[in-house]
Amino acid sequence: MSRARYEDWKLLDLSPGADLSEVNRALHYRRALYQPGALATYNLFDEDERLRMLERIDEAYRRITCSEPPPNHGPQPSLVADEADTEAPSGPPPDERSEPGAHMRYHRRAKGLTLEQLATETKIRAVLLDQIESEAVDELPAAVFVRGHVLQYARALGLSDPNEIAAWYLAKLKLD
Amino acid sequence: MGEYDTSWLQSGFTASEPRPARLGPTTLMIEEFETTTPAGPKVWAIGGGKGGVGKSIVTANLAVAVARRGLRVAVIDADLGGANLHTMVGVPSPKVNLADFISRRVSTLAEIMTPTPIDNLWLISGAKALLETANPNYGQKFKILSHISKLEVDHVFLDLGAGTAFNVLDFFLVARKGILVVVPEATSVENAYFFIKAAYFRKLKRAQPRAQVKAAIDRVMNTEARSSVRTPRDLMAQVMMVDAEAGAALMEEASTFSPSVIINRVERSEQARLGAEMGSACRDYFGIRLRCLGTLPFDNLVRRSVDERRPAVDVYPQSTFASAIRHTAESFTEPPTEEDG
Repeated sequence: MSRARYEDWKLLDLSPGADLSEVNRALHYRRALYQPGALATYNLFDEDERLRMLERIDEAYRRITCSEPPPNHGPQPSLVADEADTEAPSGPPPDERSEPGAHMRYHRRAKGLTLEQLATETKIRAVLLDQIESEAVDELPAAVFVRGHVLQYARALGLSDPNEIAAWYLAKLKLD
Repeated sequence: MGEYDTSWLQSGFTASEPRPARLGPTTLMIEEFETTTPAGPKVWAIGGGKGGVGKSIVTANLAVAVARRGLRVAVIDADLGGANLHTMVGVPSPKVNLADFISRRVSTLAEIMTPTPIDNLWLISGAKALLETANPNYGQKFKILSHISKLEVDHVFLDLGAGTAFNVLDFFLVARKGILVVVPEATSVENAYFFIKAAYFRKLKRAQPRAQVKAAIDRVMNTEARSSVRTPRDLMAQVMMVDAEAGAALMEEASTFSPSVIINRVERSEQARLGAEMGSACRDYFGIRLRCLGTLPFDNLVRRSVDERRPAVDVYPQSTFASAIRHTAESFTEPPTEEDG
């Protein structure tokens, strides 16, 4: 870790000493920003400069983690296929008030749906559905979108009261 | 690596602009203005670089939402040439407008401040006012700006026209904060960066002492160091190396340039990150901080509210758009932080 310079952390928009999961997340975020066709950098950098930024991001990652960055597959982090993902869950469903994300995941699996299948049905990306189930508050978009997504999710699964689940979800994550 | 076109880096410093010679540089006007406004209303200039991004809709709704929080708000239609803000705040045909002020039929802006149906909200209309003077001269601009600072309100929202004319840039730079409205489309993002670039260089031109700064920039751009200058950030670094004082002056100007964005018409969740991502891109490219003030969802009720000629936040308060507008309005009523200066 000692080889990393302050600029490396700054380039990844991290505080020095951030843990590995944060560094990995920053790497994906920064790489996505400089993919060809990324909206947020549209026509701001020329091609040379874009490639140079990608190199600088990888170099900063190398110095910070003392390891090679994972291969760059483009803007979307690939969803790891989880064999157990559609296995019917056992036991009672998690409490919808204290664990709304887990509650939703339980019911999805109980119906034998993969994240991809639910993504097709709800038009919400599988990655985001996963983040909703995991209550990954740092990854989630603004509250109005989360509310809409949870509603859609709950409706697609035919849960009894989508509005109530959405309210509990936002309340738990303190998004409202 | 091919020859990289850096002409735009210099053009900001050398471009000639139309102005009456006897009145001196426009930048002087801005400095004078800033030093004379220690207090007064907080002035927000809303630009967009591109037409049709919902700039006036966002301005009107934001103004209504802030007024509803109990603060006195004036919206000024400074879209000199294409004014339409008045219909959105419920004043279909304002009796007085900026033309009355410019032609001295009235002596203060306060006299053309028209009450709206909304408590705490006033309108200063530019409606058709400036078709004959859509390009106001130095004296007229200065007069408008200095009178804005005397308005007895808490916030002023200046709805600017599209484009990057010097007028628009000056109003943008003189405001307490310039806000760009962007929609998640390539052309809008591109226009926003073009606008930021133009405003940024107009601001850097103010770095003092001007002759020394200009000389240092010329020295960088006329040597092989030029090849390492790709972004304004690189330029500042190179200027720092040839003349530390000039470099520091540029940095100083740059540090006080921090425009904000509002992302409008977001339809998909990944688009909701555009504001934060543009912030990262601006940090890398310009070395500046671009703050995202709000992300507003696409909402069919907005179009309907425009048809009904009423602000969506009033006529459809339960809509997702209205909810996001109210959330955005909160940041206008928070106590100022140190960075707000």
